[in-house]
Amino acid sequence: MITLADPREAFPLASKLPRALHGSELPSSVNTRPWVLRFARTPDATKAIVMPPAVYDNELQMSVGLYEGPLPYMQTHQPTVPDGSMTSPPPLDEGPKD
Amino acid sequence: MSTVLVIAARDDWPTDRVVKALADGGAEVFRMDTAEFPQELTLAGRIDARRGWAGGLTTAHRAVDLADIEAVYYRAPNPFVFPVAMSESERRFAAAQARAGLGGVITALDCRWVSHPAAMSRAEYKPLQLATARQAGLTIPPTLITNTPDAVRAFVGDVGGQMICKPVATPVFVEGDQLKTVYTHRITEADLDDLRGIDTTAHLFQAWVDKAHEVRLTVVGDRLFAAEVHAGSAAAHTDWRSDYASLTYRPTTTPDDVAEGVRRYMSALDLRFAAADFIVTPGGEWVFLEANPCGQWDWIEHATGLPIASAIADELQGVPV
Repeated sequence: MITLADPREAFPLASKLPRALHGSELPSSVNTRPWVLRFARTPDATKAIVMPPAVYDNELQMSVGLYEGPLPYMQTHQPTVPDGSMTSPPPLDEGPKD
Repeated sequence: MSTVLVIAARDDWPTDRVVKALADGGAEVFRMDTAEFPQELTLAGRIDARRGWAGGLTTAHRAVDLADIEAVYYRAPNPFVFPVAMSESERRFAAAQARAGLGGVITALDCRWVSHPAAMSRAEYKPLQLATARQAGLTIPPTLITNTPDAVRAFVGDVGGQMICKPVATPVFVEGDQLKTVYTHRITEADLDDLRGIDTTAHLFQAWVDKAHEVRLTVVGDRLFAAEVHAGSAAAHTDWRSDYASLTYRPTTTPDDVAEGVRRYMSALDLRFAAADFIVTPGGEWVFLEANPCGQWDWIEHATGLPIASAIADELQGVPV
């Protein structure tokens, strides 16, 4: 089991990007598993928000879309519900929202 | 030239909105992610008897003199990235040096911060949030943090059997190659029949507070942006993060006494930004739950029209309220 770092360091210290997280360990036993994890669940994948394809523009210092249309930030003001995929984890601070 | 330094992940798109507001207002912006250091970002900071930290932060695309930085927007950047050929020991050593070196120089800058990372790091702790809110005059729910089953049983009696539990720290973890989260859970009698595992770590229990609705109060400098959050499902009524699709939002006004308490809270923790969550009881009382110093705000701006991005840009530029 891997838990995302929090409370965060004043400046990041970990050597690996959170988006590269992986953790294949399974739950231990009822005596050694934190009690609150009984209420853990994998969010509903059907509610996941699809992020538009984008690339970072070094001149504008923001992301731009790969295709015509509004800038990506104009398409992202919805809460992001993670689909359980570790390639799209939620932000570290508040869990499943953008 | 005076510059606003933005430290955020490249794919933090709400930060794009702040960068755009700054650029539209004519501000010079230097955006970086700590993940760019040391391979794509160079530092040459100097200090001596004549002047404070000066010298260059440089990428392949732009440069800024530390002495020209008038404000810093700090928002959850990524960890440093080192050459893959480094050993794990070298990587840990280099990360500590980078944190103390790059992080040390930047956090030593005497300028406007939204917010200073040391203040944000301290303010992440829920126990400190509750203690500070109480001292600031805000109403808080009775709360227990324990690893003792007996303390849990005593507390549930003290609060009339109505309580919730939630993680003290991050709710997100990875297990069985799946990303999982732990939302606020309303405790039932059956839950209390088996408390094995309480003693494995710290657990947070809080009295259940009856709610008419909740409020997300986004604080930017001295400005307060309050949005009612109305739950449209039973799950969202317990924890609105668990069912966004059911939520509706409405801008609202913060009562004067709550506003004063929140400003005292922000001052006590030296914060210039926070996303605070309140329960509003059926009687209209605002009960403080927590305040995230790096909370999300973009979706609230979209849902309510509250001008949070421009307020952050104004705060960074020292625009008077």
